[in-house]
Amino acid sequence: MIPFLADIDPVFKVLAPRPADWLSILPEIAVAGLSLICLLQAMFLPKALRSLIPITARVGLVLVAIMALTNGPWVQPTDVASFAGLLRQNLPTDGVRMVFLLSALLTSFLAEGFLRERDAAVADYHHVLLVVTAAFMLLVQSNHFVTFFLSLETAAVGLYVLVGYLRRSEASLEAGVKYLVAGGLSSAFLLMGIVLVYGALGSVGVADSLNFTQIGKALAAQSVANTISPLTLTGIALILGGVAFKLGAFPFHTWIPDVYQGAPTPTTAFLGTASKAAGAFTLVLLATGPFAPIAVKLAPLLGVTAVLTLLVGNLGALATTDVKRTLSLSGVSHAGFILAAVTAALVLPGANAFGYDVEQVIVIYLLAYVIGTFLTAQALVSLPAIEDHRRPQLALRGLLRRSPLLASALGFGIGSLAGVPPSVGFIAKLLVLILLVSAKLWWILGAALIGVAISIHYYFSILREAVVRPTDADEELAPLEIPFGTRFLIGALTAASIIGGLFVLFGR
Amino acid sequence: MDTFPATLLALAITAPIFVGLILLAGRDLPRSFASGFAFGGFAIPAVLGPWLLILWSNPSTAPQQFQSEGFWGFGFALNGLGAPLLAMTSLVGLAAGIKALTQEVEGRNTYLGLILFMLGGTLAVFGTNHLVGFYFFHEFALIPTFILTLFWGGEGRRPAAMQMAIYLTAGAMASLAGILIAIDASGVEYGVATFENVAQGLQNAKSIPAATGALVLFGLGTLASLFPFHSWAAPGYSAAPTPVSMLHAGALKKFGLYGIILLGLSSLDITGGSLGTWFLWFAVANVVLVGLICLAQRDLKQLLSWSSVAHMGPIFLGIWVCGVSGKADGLDAAAFLMVAHGLSCAALFLLANAVRARAGTYRLDELGGLATRTPILAALFIAATMASIGLPGFGNFWGEVGVFLALRAQPLWLQALVASTVILSAVYALRAVASTFFGPASEALEKRFASAPFGDLGWAERFAAFVLLGASLTIGFVPSLITKSVNPVAAGITTFSQHNAKAPVKAAPAVPTQR
Repeated sequence: MIPFLADIDPVFKVLAPRPADWLSILPEIAVAGLSLICLLQAMFLPKALRSLIPITARVGLVLVAIMALTNGPWVQPTDVASFAGLLRQNLPTDGVRMVFLLSALLTSFLAEGFLRERDAAVADYHHVLLVVTAAFMLLVQSNHFVTFFLSLETAAVGLYVLVGYLRRSEASLEAGVKYLVAGGLSSAFLLMGIVLVYGALGSVGVADSLNFTQIGKALAAQSVANTISPLTLTGIALILGGVAFKLGAFPFHTWIPDVYQGAPTPTTAFLGTASKAAGAFTLVLLATGPFAPIAVKLAPLLGVTAVLTLLVGNLGALATTDVKRTLSLSGVSHAGFILAAVTAALVLPGANAFGYDVEQVIVIYLLAYVIGTFLTAQALVSLPAIEDHRRPQLALRGLLRRSPLLASALGFGIGSLAGVPPSVGFIAKLLVLILLVSAKLWWILGAALIGVAISIHYYFSILREAVVRPTDADEELAPLEIPFGTRFLIGALTAASIIGGLFVLFGR
Repeated sequence: MDTFPATLLALAITAPIFVGLILLAGRDLPRSFASGFAFGGFAIPAVLGPWLLILWSNPSTAPQQFQSEGFWGFGFALNGLGAPLLAMTSLVGLAAGIKALTQEVEGRNTYLGLILFMLGGTLAVFGTNHLVGFYFFHEFALIPTFILTLFWGGEGRRPAAMQMAIYLTAGAMASLAGILIAIDASGVEYGVATFENVAQGLQNAKSIPAATGALVLFGLGTLASLFPFHSWAAPGYSAAPTPVSMLHAGALKKFGLYGIILLGLSSLDITGGSLGTWFLWFAVANVVLVGLICLAQRDLKQLLSWSSVAHMGPIFLGIWVCGVSGKADGLDAAAFLMVAHGLSCAALFLLANAVRARAGTYRLDELGGLATRTPILAALFIAATMASIGLPGFGNFWGEVGVFLALRAQPLWLQALVASTVILSAVYALRAVASTFFGPASEALEKRFASAPFGDLGWAERFAAFVLLGASLTIGFVPSLITKSVNPVAAGITTFSQHNAKAPVKAAPAVPTQR
C-alpha cells in the first residue's frame, strides 16, 4: 500500500518513511508495545497470575535498555534525521533514552508495592507509565514542532493520570487537578509560541517553519541581516516558557511543590526525574539547535533564570518542613544547575568539562539525579506517614532504628542529591561548575555555590530527622520489613552512584 | 607498573578505605574479627607513613618514584609538604583508631568504618598532587566527620554538626570556585591539573580573575578555622567523639593550610595588596582574640578546641610573612608547626577524654587533684600541654620559635602582640593542668572515686599517647626529619612567587612541589 501511494504522489514519495526510519525508533515502538501487553495481560490473565504484569514490564524495559545500549540501527552515532526530518537522532538522544528507561524501571519497582497497599490497579499504572516513557523518548528526538508537541502532549496526558491516580486520596486528586491546570497552561504557552514562530517565519518564505533545521537556518540568516521580527522572539520566549514549565524553572516552578507533594510518591519520583529530564533535554535541544543563532539574546535570559531558579529552589526548600515538598523544591534548584549548564553552552559554544560536552554533562547530571531521587524515594515510599501527610515533619523520625538499610538508602540518596563525593551527584555538579568557570559566568557560579551551601542545611536536616531517637513508642515505630527486591535495588543504586561517579571522572 | 615507594603510598591510602568499606558493609561482623581488621586499617598507614617520609627525605629516591599510576590513570603522588603531613596523619590516625577500638559504642563497626574513611580521605589529600583530587578527597574525608559527630557525638552534637556542615560546605564551595577558576586561568587541562602544573600555568597566565586568591584563602581558611570563619570549630571539636576530634583538629584541618600554601601562596599572591592586609589582621585575630577566648573557657574540652583554633594563628602568620618578605623561613616554620600541632593537639584530646572517663566531667571547676590518683595520666597530660605551648624538646618549639624569628623584620608592635600570646597560651594551658590534676579534689570527684574507684590510664591509651608524644619528641630532637622535605618546597615556593610578582620572567622557575 505504502509503495503504491509513493508511486503516484511525488510529495508522499519524499515523505514516505523508509524501513530504516522505523528501525531507528524500534526502542520506542517496543516500549509502546509493552504498554499494550500490560493492558492485555490485565484483561486475559487469571487473577493469580496478575503479579506477572509488572515483571513483564520490567523485563521488557531492561531488554529495551540493553537494546538501546547495543550498537544497532536504532543508535545513530552521528546526527541522522529520519521520517523526512520529523525526528533526529544522535548519541546524546540515545543517552537520554536511557534516563527515561531507567526512570520508568525504577518507578515500576516503587509503584508495585505502593499501589497494592492502596488497592489501586497495578496494570493500568504500568500501561500509562510505559506510554509516557515512549512519548518522552520520542520527544527528545523531535526535529519538528509537530512531533515535539504531539509527544509532549501524549506524555502530559499520561502524567495527569499518574498524578491523580489514587482516586480515594484527596491529596492525589488535588495534585492531579493542579497539574492539569498548570500543564494546560504550559501547553497553551508552548502552542502559542509555536504558532507565532510558524507564522512569523512562514510569512517570509521558510518552506516548513515548524522544522527545527529550517528554523535554525532562517534564524541564522535573519540574525546576520538583523531582521528577526519581534514576533519570532516572542514565540521563542513562549516556547522556552512552556519548556521551563516541564523543567520546573523559575518563574514556572510554582506548581512543583504542590503537585510533587500530593502525587503518589512513585509518580513524584517519575515526575521529578523523567519529566524533568524531558524538560532539560528539550531545552538543550532547542537552545543549541534551532535557536542557536540567537544564543546571544538567549544567554542572558537563561542566565538570569538559572540564578533565580537556583536561589528560589534552595531558599524555598529551606523554608519547608514536609520532606516531599523540600525535595521537590530542591529539584527546582537542580533545574537551575541544568539551566546553568545550558547557559554555559550558549555563551561558550563547544564548552567542555573533562572532555564532556554540554549535552553529555546534562545526561550525566540527569542520571545522577535519577539515582539520588530513587534512592531517597525508596525510603519515603516505605513510610505511610509521609503519603498520608500525617505529621509530615516527624515522619522520618527514628528511621535509622526502624530500618538501617532504608536510612542508609536515604543517606546515599540525599548525599547524591547534595553532591557529596564520591557520589556521581558530586561529579555531575563538578562538571557543571567547570563549564560555568570556563564560560566565565561568575554570577551563576556564585549562585550555584551559595545554593549548594544552603542546600546542606535542608538535606542535612532530613538526615538528622532520620537519626533522631523516637520520643514516643507508638506502633508506627515498629521495625520495617524490607522485601528482597528493594534491598537489591538499594544496593544496586548505591553502587551505581559511587562507581558511576568514578567512572565518569576517570573512565575516559 | 608502580615503583616501590608509589606502591607504599597507594597502599597507605587505600588500606584504611578498603577496611572501612568492609566494616561498613559488614555491620554484623563478629566483634573480635572487626577489631582486628580495623586495627590493621589503622596500623598499616601508621607504619607506611613515617617510612614514606624517610624514603622521601632520602636524596636517592626521585620524586617521580612516588607517583602512582593508580586507578583509571588517576594516581597518587607525594610532595615535600605532603610527605610529613601524611606521616603525621597516619600516626594521629593510629592513636585515634586505638582510642576508637577501646570505646563501647552502638553500631561499632559502622563507627570504626567511618573513622577509617576519615583517615583514608585525609591521607589521600596529602598523597595527591592533583587539584581536583585534593578537593575530592577533602570532601570525602569531611562527610564522615559530619556523620560521626551527628551520630556519636556528645552534648550539643546536633547543632554543632549542622553548624560545622554548613560552614565547611560554604568554605568548600568558595575554595572549589577558587580552584576551578585558578585551573581555568592557568590554561591547564583538568586531567593534568596538578599543583605544579597549575602554578606553572598561572605564572604564564595573562590574567587571573581578581577574586581567585580571596576565594582560595577564605574558602580553605574556613577549613583551617581562620578568623572570622572559625566559629564552627570549637563547638564542632567539642561535640565530636574523641577519635574524631583528634583526627579533625589534628589532621583534617591541615589540608586547608596545605591548599593555601601550595595554591594560594605559590601563585595567587594572597599576601599582597588589600587581601594581604586582611589576611594579616585575621591571622592576628586568630592569635590574640581567640587566645583571649581560650582564657575564658571553663570546660577542658572546649578549652582544647578553642586553643586548637588559636594555634592556627602562628601558622597563618608564618605563611603570611613568607609571602610578604619573600623569605622561606616563615613557611618552613609554619609547615613544621602544622605537623607538630597535629601530634600535640591529638594527644591532648585523647588524654582529656581519659580525664573525663574517670571524673565524669570536663568542667574544670569540678576537677582537681587527679595527679595523686592517676599519675601516669597526669604526666602524659602535662607533657602534651608542654608540647602544645612550645616547650623546647617538642616539635612545636621549632615551629613557634621559627615563626617568631621569621617575624623579626616586621614592625615591633606585631612582634610584641604575637609574643604576648605565648604567655597567654601558657596561662590558659597551665591553668587547665593545675585545676585538673593538682590542688584538692572536688567533693563530687571524691564521691565518685569512693563509689567507683578508677585506675590510671589503660595500656591501649598509654600506647596511643606514647606514639603521639614520642613522635613530637622525635621531631623536636631531630627536626631535620621534617625540614629536609619541607624546606626545599618552601624555598621553591618563595622563588616561584617572587618570579610571579615581578614581570614575566621566561626562565624556568623552581617547581614548588618538588624537592
